[in-house]
Amino acid sequence: MQKQPVRWGLGLLYFFLGLITVATLYPFWHVLMYSISDPKRAMSGGMFLLPRGLAFDSYSMLFRNSLIFDAYSNSLFRLFVGTLINVALTAMLAYPLSIRRFIGRTPITLLIFFTMLFNGGMIPTYLLVNGLGLVDTLWALIVPSAISAWNFFIMKNYFQGLPPELEESANMDGASPLRTLFAIILPVSMPVIAAIALFYGVWHWNAYFDAVLYLHSQDKQVLTLFLRSMMNFSATESTRSMNDSMTVANISEESVKMATIIATMLPMLLIYPFLQKYFVKGVLIGSVKG
Amino acid sequence: MKNSTGTLRRGKESAVLQRLAAIRKDKFLYLMALPGILFFLVFHYGPMYGLIVAFKDYNIYQGIFSSEWVGLANFQELFESSGFKRALLNTVIIGFYQLLFVFPAPIILSILINEVVHTRFKKFVQTVVYLPHFVSWIVIGGILYAILSPTTGIVQEVADWFGLGDSVINLMGSTEYFRSILIASSIWKEAGFGTILYLATIVTIDPSLYEAAKVDGASKRRQIWHITLPGLRTTIVILLIFHVGNFLNVGLEQVYALYNPAVYEVGEILDTYLYKLAFESAKYDLATASGLFKSLVGLTLVLFTNYAAKKIDRDSGFI
Repeated sequence: MQKQPVRWGLGLLYFFLGLITVATLYPFWHVLMYSISDPKRAMSGGMFLLPRGLAFDSYSMLFRNSLIFDAYSNSLFRLFVGTLINVALTAMLAYPLSIRRFIGRTPITLLIFFTMLFNGGMIPTYLLVNGLGLVDTLWALIVPSAISAWNFFIMKNYFQGLPPELEESANMDGASPLRTLFAIILPVSMPVIAAIALFYGVWHWNAYFDAVLYLHSQDKQVLTLFLRSMMNFSATESTRSMNDSMTVANISEESVKMATIIATMLPMLLIYPFLQKYFVKGVLIGSVKG
Repeated sequence: MKNSTGTLRRGKESAVLQRLAAIRKDKFLYLMALPGILFFLVFHYGPMYGLIVAFKDYNIYQGIFSSEWVGLANFQELFESSGFKRALLNTVIIGFYQLLFVFPAPIILSILINEVVHTRFKKFVQTVVYLPHFVSWIVIGGILYAILSPTTGIVQEVADWFGLGDSVINLMGSTEYFRSILIASSIWKEAGFGTILYLATIVTIDPSLYEAAKVDGASKRRQIWHITLPGLRTTIVILLIFHVGNFLNVGLEQVYALYNPAVYEVGEILDTYLYKLAFESAKYDLATASGLFKSLVGLTLVLFTNYAAKKIDRDSGFI
């Protein structure tokens, strides 16, 4: 008698969670199916369980636009150079401040902590970036966000959790701090390095508002901005030529938009299954209160 | 007296010398930290200095320095403008909805996931619900426009199932539904990823508590209420402090990706408003004042919530 309601409850729970997974995945599926369907048949809308016909014209149309290659290369530059700078600078700041004998450690840490509570905001930051001559260069997406205070604290706390003897004995043996960091500390800190590199990497790949703010030239667009200009389709200068050639081909605006969405998120979706566990670890490392 | 201040000074001097010697010995360590410290000074404290624009009649040609001081005139103009009032009101309303619906979503979801008995199903659900966190708001904006479009989307078909086919409207352009779409898409994107911390905390709850409750014949619901939720309390309070501190940060990237002129009335938030003030109307001073107002409210909220949390529970809070 006791068992029955529990099993019912479990069935209901599994059904409900099943619905949640469907609701999570369907939007992506819809866009993917739409993008590879025959545009004429896709246009009537409704649910897509399978593609209606099969056509890749919208993708070939999309990749005929040279701007998407600029956007890809800018996004990849931002991703790799940006993340590299993020991780290097964060580690180079977190490591010294994790060592007890570092003079000024507390005030400097407080200085950094305060930036998490209060900031100058969008306009003063823009005026600064503009004053430094970074506007309309890709560096505007990298330099102003070189270190995130949040990630700094995650890394500092991790370093502080390592046995101090590691650093002290290397120091006694006369190893330079840079050598100690790279040869001794970083090899035992791979979990936190991986997690933080992933946090920065995903942020770089998905961020777009700073690009709206700082980049103006068409060839400086990142992928997210390219998608944005595609979504505002016919109005946009960059796609006008495409629009003309589309009226002759068997392609709809909608289909090309869907193809752009897929092209923008595909790299992330492909690597996601492999990276997921590192993220979970990263969140947990970060949650250890310092 | 003279003598003692003399030794005091000498003592101070030797302490300074000692420190200098220590710094020289570790000079590479200090050099290594230098770029990071400079970064925070330039890119965080620099803009804080730039906040003086809020108290000036900013002129692009004169620059921050030589523009004229106007006291609180910018704030006065701001608080009297209907655009600012509308943006503030929208921000507060959306903020409250988020507190009410978005904040608890991962707590509920993690409790549900935790009840799953079959490990593979649990892993599968987790993998799926974390996914949207990794997708840009721009992409999600595109997807939402696609599936919510009254012509090419799914809305018409779904409405037909329920016999509501005649009343289909463009949800993304509807002032009535836009905020609900913001809230729903926030939950859809972040609730899953938000469960990571809660699930990890639930694992640390002592299993013997559940055993004892079962022996006493407590139902699943009562176990969740009396064991799981109290076990999550500290985590919930800390995350709540962060959430409340960010109350006015209702999601610039989200709103800017999702809204359109048809829903400015209900969707314009402080961040989008100040962006337009600066870059469409070139009123940098007003925009800066609006940003400063927002930052100050944010700071007050964090400090207040932290204080309140400490009052209730001495171990919580983070400052």
